[in-house]
Amino acid sequence: MRAEDPGADAPFVFRDGCIGVTVDVRAYRLSAVQKTAYRLAAKCTAIIGEVREHSLVVTLTFSPTTGEREALETARLFFQELLDQELREKVGEQTASLRALILAHAFSRTSLPPRG
Amino acid sequence: MARAVFHPRSAYAPSAGYRLLPLRFGRLDEHAYIVTNDVGEYVRLARDELVAFLERRLDSDTSVYKALKSRHFLYENDSSVAFDLLALKYRSRAERVAAFTGLHIFVVTLRCDHSCQYCQVSRQSEDSTAFDMTVEHADKALDLVFRSPNEHIKIELQGGEPLLNFPLVCHIVERARKLNEDHRRDLQFVITSNLSRLSDDVLSFCKEHGVYLSTSLDGPADLHDGQRPTRGGGSHRKTVEGIHRVREVLGLDRISALMTTTPRSLSRVDEIIDEYVRLGFHGIFLRSLSPYGFAARSLVKRYGVEDWLDFYKRGLSHILRINAGGYFLREEFTTILLQKMFSPLGSGYVDLQSPAGVGIGALVYNYDGAVYASDEGRMLAEMGDQTFRLGHLDEHSYEELLTSEALLAPLGETILEGMPMCADCPFLPYCGADPVFHRATQGDAVGHKAFSAFCTKQMGVLRHVIGLLETDAEARDILLRWV
Repeated sequence: MRAEDPGADAPFVFRDGCIGVTVDVRAYRLSAVQKTAYRLAAKCTAIIGEVREHSLVVTLTFSPTTGEREALETARLFFQELLDQELREKVGEQTASLRALILAHAFSRTSLPPRG
Repeated sequence: MARAVFHPRSAYAPSAGYRLLPLRFGRLDEHAYIVTNDVGEYVRLARDELVAFLERRLDSDTSVYKALKSRHFLYENDSSVAFDLLALKYRSRAERVAAFTGLHIFVVTLRCDHSCQYCQVSRQSEDSTAFDMTVEHADKALDLVFRSPNEHIKIELQGGEPLLNFPLVCHIVERARKLNEDHRRDLQFVITSNLSRLSDDVLSFCKEHGVYLSTSLDGPADLHDGQRPTRGGGSHRKTVEGIHRVREVLGLDRISALMTTTPRSLSRVDEIIDEYVRLGFHGIFLRSLSPYGFAARSLVKRYGVEDWLDFYKRGLSHILRINAGGYFLREEFTTILLQKMFSPLGSGYVDLQSPAGVGIGALVYNYDGAVYASDEGRMLAEMGDQTFRLGHLDEHSYEELLTSEALLAPLGETILEGMPMCADCPFLPYCGADPVFHRATQGDAVGHKAFSAFCTKQMGVLRHVIGLLETDAEARDILLRWV
């Protein structure tokens, strides 16, 4: 991850009510970015751009009442949450079939699903 | 004599590492994460422990590894015990769905002698008999009650003030008991009353038929009377007298009380709790306002969910002190969550189920013959939104009501495992869906949880309670006694 403005000292730059961030799609999948954006919807609107090369540009757009400090904190939270969402995606991949197996086993001796 | 040969301990060590079982995780606080699974087990971890665990490089000698293994978050490659246990526990928790509707609410009248500022129904004056349920509708509703396969049926008689239509209350109880001679269910009755009309006749009827009473008690007299005005005043005095009379005639456990948090209550949580203790109650439900009905909307705007959370945390702290002093008093909302964490069957609390408890947890038969999927759905209808109206006793059969789109749609939408944000939330096994709340506040049954006061409240309470369980040994001892 990196801030969009490479010359900035701070990792993120708040300008015109927005912070632009770039996500490396080799490290984070799109579904993780989307879930992160959804989870932070009360703090900002995340406009997810196109993937170019390995980069996805996401613009975090804030309401006019949001100050710079709060916006920068939200950008920091965005990447914290993105890290967790990516981990969740990996865990989901590893365990989805096991969850289906456990549920099938749980209901295998009941009348759910209905007996034919 | 042959000598027993034991394998060394290393022979029982996991042979080829471990694999993950289905789980969810999230932040508990600034320092810790929580992992939970589908059957309600949890473990608190530091972030580096979480990452090591998820990357399958956790050392099997550590206490964290042992906790995760014993609570079914991982399995060693040569064992399938965890699968059998998880399946068994999952089935136990899901059995409630198959049991179907247990709570049946009869709104026997909308008439009421109180004009409470937070009233959730459109109360009518005491002489408007047009707002009474008819005997015909009561009989049709009773026929539906016994169509439910649930072995445990609770019939709640409410209003308005149900004792203003006491003849119908008597009819419903007597006819239900008569019908139950054939059906043989575990049948229970509760009258939800402000007790202002409690008479010897009412008490002797309740005694004869084993009827419980539930009343409203908002705290000390000035607070209660300010919030629950009645003609001539004295609501608190009448309620307290009623509580004593019920206990005297029916027994100590035959009456319970509920409070509602208004803006005036926020600074007085200790006094409210002390009033419950003074009156000998051993449970108090610190209830937040619901955004339905009469004046509730304007009151809800006067305090936010964070205000209620602060009220709740101060209240819980006071309750824990009271318990530490030797008086048993449990906070009922916390108890519901603890049951979801530590009881194999979870909790049957209708408002915290997945799928939502609408229809399959409770049905409401309104005074006018309309049938609703929940009490809150009926309140929403009083505000003009008929989303949760399933049909009418005169027009629809049991099958039509229970397979109506008004029920099937919210049930299909409110399975937490399929709801955005909820699906990934570590608190999912302790939570539930509230389609009526989200319909009322966001205009759709699912709602966006990032904007949901319901979600903020649930997460705030759960983080606080789990924090106490994990960091305060004395609080943990007390809380576990409530389950």
